[in-house]
Amino acid sequence: MKIALFTDLARSAFRRPVTERYPFEKRPAPPLYRGQVSWTAEGCTGCMLCVKDCPAEAIDFFTLDKANKRFVFRYHTDRCTFCGQCAYSCRFSCITLDDEAWELAGGDRAAFVVTYGRPEDIARVELEELPATGA
Amino acid sequence: MTRDLINLLFFPAGLGLIAAGLLYQWVDRKLLARFQNRLGPRWFQPFADALKLLGKEEIHPAGSSAFLFAALPVLALAGALTAALYVPLFGLAPVFSFPGDLIVTLYLMSLLTLCIGLAGAQTRDRFSLAGALRVFTQMFAYEAPFILALLSPAVALMLAGQPSSWQIGELVLSAAGQPWFLLTLPITFVVALVGLMGKLELPPFDAPEAETEIVAGALTEYSGRGLALFSLARAVELVVGLTLVTALYLGGIGAGPLAAVLFTAKTIGLLLIVVVLQTLLARLRIDQTVNLWWRLGSVLVLAQWLLLLIFRVLR
Amino acid sequence: MNAPATERFVVPIGPQHPALKEPGHFEFTVEGETVVDATVRLGYAHRGIEKGAEGRNWTQTLYLIERICGICSHIHSTAYAVGVEQLAEVEVPARAQAIREIICELERVHSHLLWLGVAAHDAGFDTLFMYTWRDRETVMDILETMSGNRVHYSANVLGGVKFDLTDESAVAILKGVEFLEERTHHYRKVVSEDAFFLQRTRGVGTMTHAEALALGVVGPTARASGVARDVRLDAPYVAYADFPARIQLLTAGDLEARFLARLDELLDSFRLIRVLVAGLPAGELTAKRMPRKLKPGEVISRVEAPRGELFYYIRSTGGEQPDRVKVRTPTLCNMGSVITQTIGHNLADVPMILVGIDPCFSCNDRAVTVRRAGDDNGRAWAWADLRRYGIDYYRRIRN
Ligand code: SF4
Ligand code: SF4
Repeated sequence: MKIALFTDLARSAFRRPVTERYPFEKRPAPPLYRGQVSWTAEGCTGCMLCVKDCPAEAIDFFTLDKANKRFVFRYHTDRCTFCGQCAYSCRFSCITLDDEAWELAGGDRAAFVVTYGRPEDIARVELEELPATGA
Repeated sequence: MTRDLINLLFFPAGLGLIAAGLLYQWVDRKLLARFQNRLGPRWFQPFADALKLLGKEEIHPAGSSAFLFAALPVLALAGALTAALYVPLFGLAPVFSFPGDLIVTLYLMSLLTLCIGLAGAQTRDRFSLAGALRVFTQMFAYEAPFILALLSPAVALMLAGQPSSWQIGELVLSAAGQPWFLLTLPITFVVALVGLMGKLELPPFDAPEAETEIVAGALTEYSGRGLALFSLARAVELVVGLTLVTALYLGGIGAGPLAAVLFTAKTIGLLLIVVVLQTLLARLRIDQTVNLWWRLGSVLVLAQWLLLLIFRVLR
Repeated sequence: MNAPATERFVVPIGPQHPALKEPGHFEFTVEGETVVDATVRLGYAHRGIEKGAEGRNWTQTLYLIERICGICSHIHSTAYAVGVEQLAEVEVPARAQAIREIICELERVHSHLLWLGVAAHDAGFDTLFMYTWRDRETVMDILETMSGNRVHYSANVLGGVKFDLTDESAVAILKGVEFLEERTHHYRKVVSEDAFFLQRTRGVGTMTHAEALALGVVGPTARASGVARDVRLDAPYVAYADFPARIQLLTAGDLEARFLARLDELLDSFRLIRVLVAGLPAGELTAKRMPRKLKPGEVISRVEAPRGELFYYIRSTGGEQPDRVKVRTPTLCNMGSVITQTIGHNLADVPMILVGIDPCFSCNDRAVTVRRAGDDNGRAWAWADLRRYGIDYYRRIRN
C-alpha cells in the first residue's frame, strides 16, 4: 500500500493557492499577445490583402480615393478570431494586434465595431452607407 | 421547559447544529481546496448554497411516488437532527439521554443513508437506480464494522470491569476518567473514522455519487428543496459523527466552558484527518469498497475485540 | 430495487453526461454492474468544417482547420500546411520546420497533461487532477509567451511560421521543461505506485497486441499495446527527420500502460524540445513565395497528433480555394476499442476505459450519406427538404 501524493499535500498545505484572483489581480499579457486589431492609414496602399485573408470576415475596407490614400478600415471585434493573419499579410505594417486590449467582453453590440480612418472619411462612409470595397 | 425548547430548536441542537454543520462543511471544502492548491470557497458559501437550493423550484419526476419523494428528505433531516439530541454536541451534555441511546443513535444515523437509497430506488431514473444499488451495497459493507467500532469503548469498559453503559451521556463521563480510547483501542478508532467517511460518502467512498459514472447517484432526480434538505442532513450527520467519535475515542467530555472549546477543537482535528484522507485517496469501485470492508475492516474490528478478550483473560 | 442484479438494463451515457466533456452517445447493457454489450453513436457535434473549407481561400482555411480542435490546434494546422505546401511545391526553410516541431511537442506536453488530469478526475482522484492542471499552466504560459495565445497559437502560415524563437522564449522553454520534467517523473511514480489509483487502472481494459492490430488503433493507445506505430518515425514530417522522436512502447495494454505510455512520451518530448532549442537551424522563417493559386492536384498529409495519427486529404482544382479537405482524426480509429474493451468490465470502469483513448468527439464527427451501389436514392437535399425532415423527425420521436 503506497500513497503517492503525500509530499505534494504537505507542500501544498503551506503554499499560497495558485488560483489567480482574476478581476482583482491582473497579470499582464505577454508582448506578443494577440488582442484587438488596430489600423493606421500610414503606409496603407489599399491592396486589400488583409481583407482577403481574414478568415472571419472581420474587416470591411472602404477605398474612397485610392490615389490620395483615403481609406476607411472598419473592424468587427466580435467576429475577429485574433489569428493575426491580417497583421502578417500587410506588408506595410499598418495593422497591429494590441497586447493590452484583450478584455473585450461587453453588452453593447455596437461597441464592437471599431472604425479607423480620417474623421471626415468615416463620416462619409457612415452617412452615405457606402458598401465595403470588394463586398 | 423553555430551556428545553431553546436546546431543541436553537442550541446546541436545531438551528445551531445546522449552522455548525454548514461551517464544518466549509472547513472540509476549504481544507480540501488548500491541499489541492486552490483558493476554495468563502465561509458563507455552504449557507448560500443551502439558501439558494431552498428557494428553487422542485421538480417532481414522473413515475415516482410524490409522497415518498417529498417525505424522504424530511425524514432524513429529522433522523439526523434526532440523532444529534443524544450526542454531546460541542462537548455539552446531550440534550436527551436514556439507557441504550447509543444504539438508537447509531440507527438514527443510518436513517439518512436509508432515505438516500430509497429516494434513488423509488425514481425510475437509471442513474438513481444504480446509485441506490451502490448506496445499499456500500451500507452493508461498512455498517457492521462501523457500529461495532463505535460500541467498542463500551465493551472495553465492561470487560475491564469498569462502570459501563449503553447510554452515551454516562459512557462519555466514564470515558473522561480513562486514558483516551484512541490509545487503547487504536484499531477500532481508525475503523470508526473511516466508517464515518463511508457513511458520509466522502472520497474514496464516493462511488454512490460518482459523477463521472452515474451523475449524482441516488439523488440525480432531486432538485430545490429536497436536495437542500438532503444536503443539510449530510451536514448535520457530519457533526454528529465527528462528535460521537471524539466523545468516545478522544477522552469523553470534561466540565467547564474550556472543555467545550477543547472538544470542538478535537472534532475539527478529526475533520482535518478526514480531509487529508479525502485528498490522498482515489475513489474505490463499489466492489473494491465491499472487499475492503469485509476483508479488512471487519477482520480488524474482530482482532481488536480478540485482543481485548485476551487482555481480560490474562488479568 | 426494481432491477434485480441478474436483470439486464441499459445505461445510457450521453449525449449529455458528466463523464463526457463533449457529446457522444453510448448505450451500455449491464447485468448488475457488469457491462455485457455496448454501442456508440457519434455525430452530435458535427460542425461542417470540411464543407466550410471549400468556401474559403487556402489561407483562410488554415485558420478554420486550426479550430477543429481546441487542444491539438497546432497539429491540425501543421498537417494542413504541410499538405498545401506539398501541393504548391514550396520548400519551407529548416528553421521554420524546427519551430513547428517545437510547438508540436509543447502541444503534446499540454495535451497529455490535460489528459492526465481528466483521467484522474474520471477515476475519482481529483487531487491529481488539480495538481496536473496546475503544472500544465507552465506549458500554457510558455506557448502564450511564444505565440501570443494560449490555445490557438496561429504559429503556421502557408510556407512557414509567423514568429521566431526569441532568446527569452528559449530561456522560458528550458526553464519550464526542467520543472515539468521533474513533475512528470513524479506523476509517473504516482500512476505506477499509488495503491488506490492502481486498483482502477492495472489490468483494466486490457487490449492485446493482436486486438490492437485488428482494431487499427493509433497513437499512445496503440503503443501501450506494443504496436510500433508513430508517424513521427514512420513518415517524418516537418523537422522530425533531423530531430527524431523516440518511440515509447509498452506491452501490457491495460489502462496503466496507457498512462505510462503518455507519460513516457512526455519525457521524450522534453528531451526533444531541448535538442531542438539547442540545435535550431538558422535561416528564414517563411518560404520565398507562396502562390495564392495552387496547381490542380491532390495530396495526403499524415502527422502524429497527441492522440495518434491524423490524416488529411487535400485536393486542388487549380483555384484559390481547396476543392476538398478531408480530415480523419485519431479518435475515430480508437473509438472501436472502447466498445470491445468495456464488455466484461464493471460499469464503474467505463468512463476510465473511454478516457483511456483520450477521445475528442467534435473533431471526429462527420456527416455521412450512405449510398448503396445501384440505387440512386442519394438525392441532394435542399434547405426545404432538410427542414421538412427535421420537423417530421421530431414529430415522430415525440409520439
Ligand atoms: S486577427 Fe484574424 S480574424 Fe481578426 S481581423 Fe485579423 S485576420 Fe481577421
Ligand atoms: S494589407 Fe495593409 S496595406 Fe493592404 S489594405 Fe490591408 S492595411 Fe492596407
